[in-house]
Amino acid sequence: KDVPLPQSKADQTEEKLDLDIWKSVMRFQVPAAEEEEKLGGEEGGAAPSGPGGGVAGQEEVSPLEATRELVVMWRQAGKLVPETMTDEELGILAELQTKSSKKKYLKYLAIKEGHKKSHKQKQEKRKAERSERFLEDDRIRPDGLRGEEGELRNTFLLQFWGRSLDKLLGWRSAQAMVFGQPLVFDMSYEQQMTRREVENTVSQLMEVEGWNRRASEPFHLHFCNLQPDGGYRKELVKRYGAEAWQRLLITSTEQRHVDLFPRDDLVYLTADSPNVLRTFDNSKVYIVGSMVDRSIQSGLSLANAKRLKLNTARLPLDDFLQWETGAKNLTLDQMIRILLTLKETGRWEEALEYVPKRKHDGFYQEKPQQD
Amino acid sequence: MSSLLILKTRICLKYISPLFNPSTAGFTPLNNVISKLSVSSRLLCTKGGSRHAGNNRKEDRQREFNIRERLPFPKSVFAAGTAKRTAEYQKKRAEEEPNFPRKNKRVEPPDHPLTASEWKSLKLISPNPDRFDVRMMSSMLADGTDINVAKSLLAYVAMDTGTLSYELLLRYLTLCVGSGHHSEVFDMYDIMRSRFRTLDTGASSLFIKGFSRTERWKEALTILENIKRAITPSPRNYGDTIAGAVLHGDGDTAWALYAELMEKGLIPNQETWQALFQCGLSHQGHEDGLQSILLHMRDNQIYPEETLAKDIKAWFESLPEQKWIGSWSPVDPRGVCRSCQAELESIQLSREEYAQLKDRVMGDVIQGRDIFNKTTPEELESFKNFVKRKPAFDVVIDGLNVANIGIKGNQSQTLLEVVSELERQGLVILVLGRKHMQRPSRSWDRHDMSLVQQKAHCFFTDNISEDDPFLLYATLHSGNHCNFVSRDLMRDHKACLPDGATRRLFFKWQRGHQLVLSSYTPGKRVRFQRILSYDTIVQTNGGSWHIPYDENGAERCTYEVPQKWLCLTKAK
Repeated sequence: KDVPLPQSKADQTEEKLDLDIWKSVMRFQVPAAEEEEKLGGEEGGAAPSGPGGGVAGQEEVSPLEATRELVVMWRQAGKLVPETMTDEELGILAELQTKSSKKKYLKYLAIKEGHKKSHKQKQEKRKAERSERFLEDDRIRPDGLRGEEGELRNTFLLQFWGRSLDKLLGWRSAQAMVFGQPLVFDMSYEQQMTRREVENTVSQLMEVEGWNRRASEPFHLHFCNLQPDGGYRKELVKRYGAEAWQRLLITSTEQRHVDLFPRDDLVYLTADSPNVLRTFDNSKVYIVGSMVDRSIQSGLSLANAKRLKLNTARLPLDDFLQWETGAKNLTLDQMIRILLTLKETGRWEEALEYVPKRKHDGFYQEKPQQD
Repeated sequence: MSSLLILKTRICLKYISPLFNPSTAGFTPLNNVISKLSVSSRLLCTKGGSRHAGNNRKEDRQREFNIRERLPFPKSVFAAGTAKRTAEYQKKRAEEEPNFPRKNKRVEPPDHPLTASEWKSLKLISPNPDRFDVRMMSSMLADGTDINVAKSLLAYVAMDTGTLSYELLLRYLTLCVGSGHHSEVFDMYDIMRSRFRTLDTGASSLFIKGFSRTERWKEALTILENIKRAITPSPRNYGDTIAGAVLHGDGDTAWALYAELMEKGLIPNQETWQALFQCGLSHQGHEDGLQSILLHMRDNQIYPEETLAKDIKAWFESLPEQKWIGSWSPVDPRGVCRSCQAELESIQLSREEYAQLKDRVMGDVIQGRDIFNKTTPEELESFKNFVKRKPAFDVVIDGLNVANIGIKGNQSQTLLEVVSELERQGLVILVLGRKHMQRPSRSWDRHDMSLVQQKAHCFFTDNISEDDPFLLYATLHSGNHCNFVSRDLMRDHKACLPDGATRRLFFKWQRGHQLVLSSYTPGKRVRFQRILSYDTIVQTNGGSWHIPYDENGAERCTYEVPQKWLCLTKAK
């Protein structure tokens, strides 16, 4: 950089230095805007008014561009905003009404970006380590044989591929489709959720399906009230991929659960229910509302159950756990793991291991009286 | 080839392992053993913790109980400061927890400008040299260090690295604006405009603030325009610009900006109003505008702070040819201003307001988006019929809320005492409760409940329904004379209402019709807190203004109203 560095350092004795020297330093520098343009700015067409137009050329900037610039400056100011944004994200940002919602969205993007970046870094590190290990091995045994590990042995099993496991689990799921106990996920809450919440719900549902598939005795999963042209289905198909979604061994239907099963068999599981689920009944069909509620809309699923005159129940969390913080509603994947364990063993202590530890302070000592 | 083999074996191992996973079939015996082990070990290790937690819980209950037993303050729950006093009272009662001092990690700024080499050595000895400059500047900001020290830091960083980061400049700018170094702000403006393509909202706001105090205040308008391109400027941005315009005697610009601010639906700051009143003080005109501010406060139930109230008073008194006299006066509990003897507006709603509120409570609080949320259609229908069948009530009691004021296990007796007291006054009473109250138990005595049912009309909702909405509806249905008894502040129901106007209406009605049990000891006579007869709101009758205001330093909760008034009258 072309800065008058040396002279100030030279006379350190009478160093009552020029307090305003930084101003001249800054003034001598090329404006950052121009520098960026010289590097071949991606939005070359947006600012054709030429360099130095930092002030003059701004009048005709589109709101989208203004938003992008604001984000850049916020980043420079040390705010939590992402480094790069796609045009789609920028569009969403520009549409948000309030400043706080904009900041919230930017923070979300920034955190997401950070995760992505750290994941990539880890991956690269692992890759480097692996190739180094191979090099090491090669150096020790240049002939290519890698000790016991690599030798062909007399073995009982052929290689157990992921494919084989998939096949096994697939058989099990197919069996569950025919003979298994139904478990319903009620997908009727799309209207009450925002986009983010629908996305979160779909992530949870995918985990649900995964845990169920790996269980020794899976449920027969039903996705009820799934509207064929709704955002829910769209997101599910997008996340699974159209083909995998078709092959999924679950029942997804736009019918209501009350139309599929006898009403007396249905039990709606909701944390707002006044009834406590004491024992898991293998002849019942339990319903879980698939909904993520980031705002406060209490009692939605209870209202739904009341409307359809269904039995309701909640998990006996307070009977077994010393509840500390957090809401009593659990995520969908926690629910299915609890239900799977109950189905298999019928023991609450074991099932409630899946309640997040941060929410409670351990189990109660004595068993609650049975009634 | 060999490397491939290794890879494959690894994969193979990885996929066999799920077989050993306890959750798969085939290994159930082992699985059981494992799970038993883990459960028992868990039980063992939670022993200590659980007992501890149990103790805590007991203490909590004890404490809560004490608070309930002696309820402190005779004033209305809606009076400003009640919530704060209650909070302090509870804090005092709570056991004092040892406060662990947090490790102080901030850097100490020096007290005089340092040379480059001194800065360098300071940076070397600092425990965390990462972002040393920015952290140092932040702590200077916090300490309000002299600007020359900050300058010397900038000089050092600029010489050391050849440039200054935006973040660092931003903090320095905050320091300049905060300490009012205007020429420095101008320099910064030139530098930052030439150096960066645009400014972020933080820097823009600072420049607006800095410029509006100087003769270059008009440039603040340009900066404000620039902010608008990407985002709505904050009320403070507008406020600063308006203050700048007022300071330089440009009332028209100030009012134009104020109009824009209002048009955008922003809520102006008290300082903005203060600036406008000061503007009215030095320049005549804009009387309508200032009166409209007062009416805006009235409509939105905003109360001026003491400083603003002083400006309002000064402005009124400065008006030529109409001699206003302002005085700080208390208001008599009966709703009479002590200084001018005028009667304040009544707290009762007008007929239209009342009808509107009733509709809204029915539509939004009880029915809402989904009637099943709070009740069922059958129950609502039966309740409506019940209310229709009965005569208009004088007082509606929230049975569960009232019963729980007393000692635990004695709920029905508490309820009975309250009902008897109200019955003695010859009132028609409705008690709302839930069905479980009818089932005799330790806390719900059969005899007590039958007495209650003799003395009052009763309606019991389902155990999972909410009773408050019914309480509101029954009270509203009975007419303007009807009050209700509950300690509940009804904030959640107020929040169900769709817009601010209806919420304020609800709040006004609530203040006029809610009876709060002041304190209760069994055997003693039941007393209620006084309902105020007048409305606390900015009000005028042409000849006079009465303006409630917030005292300096006093804190007020949203459900409380101020107690001090400014009385303005025209001298004859």
